[in-house]
Amino acid sequence: MVETSDSRKELIFEARKICKIFGPTIALNSVDLKIFRGQITGLVGENGSGKSTMSSLAAGIEPASSGEMFFLAKAHKPATMIEGAKAGIGMIVQEMGTVPGISVAENIFIGQEEKFKKFGLISKGRMNQAAREALGAIGSEIDSEESIDRLSMQDRKLIELAKVMYSQPEMLIVDETTTALSHQGREILYNVMRKMKAENKAVLFISHDLPELMAICDTLTVLRDGKFVATLEQSEMSEQKIKRLMVGREMSERYYRTDYDGSCGEAVVLEAKNITTGTGLLMNFSIQLHQGEILGVGGLSHCGMHELGRALFGEEKILTGAVTHIPSREKITSPISAMKHQIGYVSKNRDVEALVLTASIKDNIAAAAYDRLASVGGFIFPNREKNYVNAQIKFLGIKCASMDQNVQYLSGGNKQKVVFGKWVGRDCDILILDCPTRGVDVGVKAAMYDLIYEMKLKGKSIVLISEELTELIGMSDRLVIIKNGKQAGEFMRSKDLTETTIIESMI
Amino acid sequence: MDKPADTLIKKRFINLALISDFAPIVGLILLSILFFVLTDGKIFGPTNLKSLTNQVLITALVGVGAVFVFGAGAFDMSMSGSLALAAILGAKVAMATGSVPYMVLTCLAVSLTLGLIKGLMAAYVDVPFFIVTIVIGALLGALGLLVMGKETVLTVANVPTIRDMTPINVITLGGFYLAALLLFNYTPIGKSCKLIGGNMIAARQSGIKIDRMKIVAFLVAALGVSLAAIIILLRTKTASSTTGGTIGIDIMVALVLGGMPLSGGPRSKISAALIGAATITILNSGLTIIGVGPGTIQIFRGVIFLAVVLVASLNYRTQLLPR
Repeated sequence: MVETSDSRKELIFEARKICKIFGPTIALNSVDLKIFRGQITGLVGENGSGKSTMSSLAAGIEPASSGEMFFLAKAHKPATMIEGAKAGIGMIVQEMGTVPGISVAENIFIGQEEKFKKFGLISKGRMNQAAREALGAIGSEIDSEESIDRLSMQDRKLIELAKVMYSQPEMLIVDETTTALSHQGREILYNVMRKMKAENKAVLFISHDLPELMAICDTLTVLRDGKFVATLEQSEMSEQKIKRLMVGREMSERYYRTDYDGSCGEAVVLEAKNITTGTGLLMNFSIQLHQGEILGVGGLSHCGMHELGRALFGEEKILTGAVTHIPSREKITSPISAMKHQIGYVSKNRDVEALVLTASIKDNIAAAAYDRLASVGGFIFPNREKNYVNAQIKFLGIKCASMDQNVQYLSGGNKQKVVFGKWVGRDCDILILDCPTRGVDVGVKAAMYDLIYEMKLKGKSIVLISEELTELIGMSDRLVIIKNGKQAGEFMRSKDLTETTIIESMI
Repeated sequence: MDKPADTLIKKRFINLALISDFAPIVGLILLSILFFVLTDGKIFGPTNLKSLTNQVLITALVGVGAVFVFGAGAFDMSMSGSLALAAILGAKVAMATGSVPYMVLTCLAVSLTLGLIKGLMAAYVDVPFFIVTIVIGALLGALGLLVMGKETVLTVANVPTIRDMTPINVITLGGFYLAALLLFNYTPIGKSCKLIGGNMIAARQSGIKIDRMKIVAFLVAALGVSLAAIIILLRTKTASSTTGGTIGIDIMVALVLGGMPLSGGPRSKISAALIGAATITILNSGLTIIGVGPGTIQIFRGVIFLAVVLVASLNYRTQLLPR
């Protein structure tokens, strides 16, 4: 495929037979990768396929277990991210890379303060000036003197971009950054990437968003289970083909539920009445969830929808109003009271809030079920616990070597399945899902949509909070849009519902 | 260069599992052999063996309980103060009544009350808790001195002497160890403690009662302290403001040497207290026998503590690497 055109293009980075192993997991298995100048190379694959690992090896975040890398015609073996950056590789990571508590300028020049030294002191004025230039260079208008804590996730990502671009890398690695960006933020990022391409530099772009990848990449390399699968030229790319290569089998066209029956039970099961949250993001907000309903909640990321999810589970401090479990007439004030009424919650911040990363799959899944597992006298018999966990692993198809494996080594999709396992095992009647498919690959995504729909059919109620409109339109019986802490629109399930109508109510 | 990934993985997995599981016990055996040679066998001679077991016993009793507190990610720097106060008040009651049961009950009551106070503060006071325990430690020390008044050592002369402590020792430590093992690994209490130490937010969102579990953890630790105080009183029939000794630091060193991270979490284990207590005691005793002064021993322990923490945190960091 690529071989024929190799001669015309100049190789900038090459990986040969790279392996990477984390504990019992093989993240990369003898992978070859070539990146050329003047091109945007896409890297795609399901969660756990090794895309992020590949980029972190190139950037020097961690060493390869075996194999060789070459960059700018030299052997490339960066021991740290700083060495990687010195060699000319800049990387924007999936996780938050900014340091809280300091200004935008200080974040951009962290570790480079020396440059602004004047009589042994650091000149804030010159640093701010340089930061304005760095931000201007990527076309952003963020105030360089602002404290980083006051900025949104999107702005923080752009600051990272400015910081990386300031050192003028020869190769830019963008790892799943666009999920955190709005349309406008994405345009800024795309422009930077196109500029790199025009300057005959190289970009390695990792994303789950197939239309985005197809629109912007010159070539696309597909990984599956840590192995190289194929490299596609732009002319060869089609969504269906990429999906097939990623999953390794033919994917059905169907992704979301296919029916347009948005009906649900009459009975209200959970109600938030006039709630105002401690952070002030929700103001006097009311919402009702019915039996057997998939209630979609959407909006811009700071509109208050994530706080709503937390409030419904009793995790958010509420100043006025109350959340009530209607069948029992009891107020939900803590996760414990929520769980008493069979309410489950999947946090948006999986690694920080939903999982104990250093604990095993078994401990994580069983964590939410101690009340079910304990026998008379409070003992949890190992066999009972194992059977319980095994049932969830089988039901959800969690890929793991053993249930005693630490959760931190699992891929994003498998981690999310473990979180689902906590609540599926409890047989929850109400499930609050905050961005459940964020950073999850197509295969797992489809499985989760199926699961959500099955739960609805069984008469369970689901709150689906999401930043992806297609997902909300595809799954919801009723869709509520929040804007600045207030309800800005309500849409019933229909064939004619389009993103444009909804976006109008969001902005 | 390009080894098949499968063999790499197998080798690494087995190595890591073996190292983390057996390093503490191998360290204990090597240390025992080393001091056996250095002291011409004196360290395990009949006289020293008795004092060794006595010290291991006290450190292990306090340590086993402390696993719950440290496992839940809390810190307690005031255990030596609690031990001393429980022993002093127990001795006072024994001197006044001449009754062993009253003495035992006093030790239990004092220690559990202190544990409850610490637990309540850990659960509901919103300050870095280890600072609070440092202050509590100082307070308890002062309180002990206040109770002692003019006396430097309290001697309990009016209770019967127990000639052979061995059965009491074995039953106390054995019973407490087994009970703690069950509680820590096979009940929601211990499992919750480990999860709280691993990630408090995730534990809370799983419906675990954080506040209540922290209080329980401190109560279990307090039970260990009171058992230690009772054994000390029964054996030595004396108590003083220095009864607690350096047990606070000893326990932290012991837990780390026993293979448990001081930050707690899922890798916490009860056996760490026992293995670590044996290791630190043999180290202390061995160094004393070969003629090293107490000041130098203190330095030795400090260096070993730092080295172990450093190695442990290196290991911890590699495990926390992304993806």
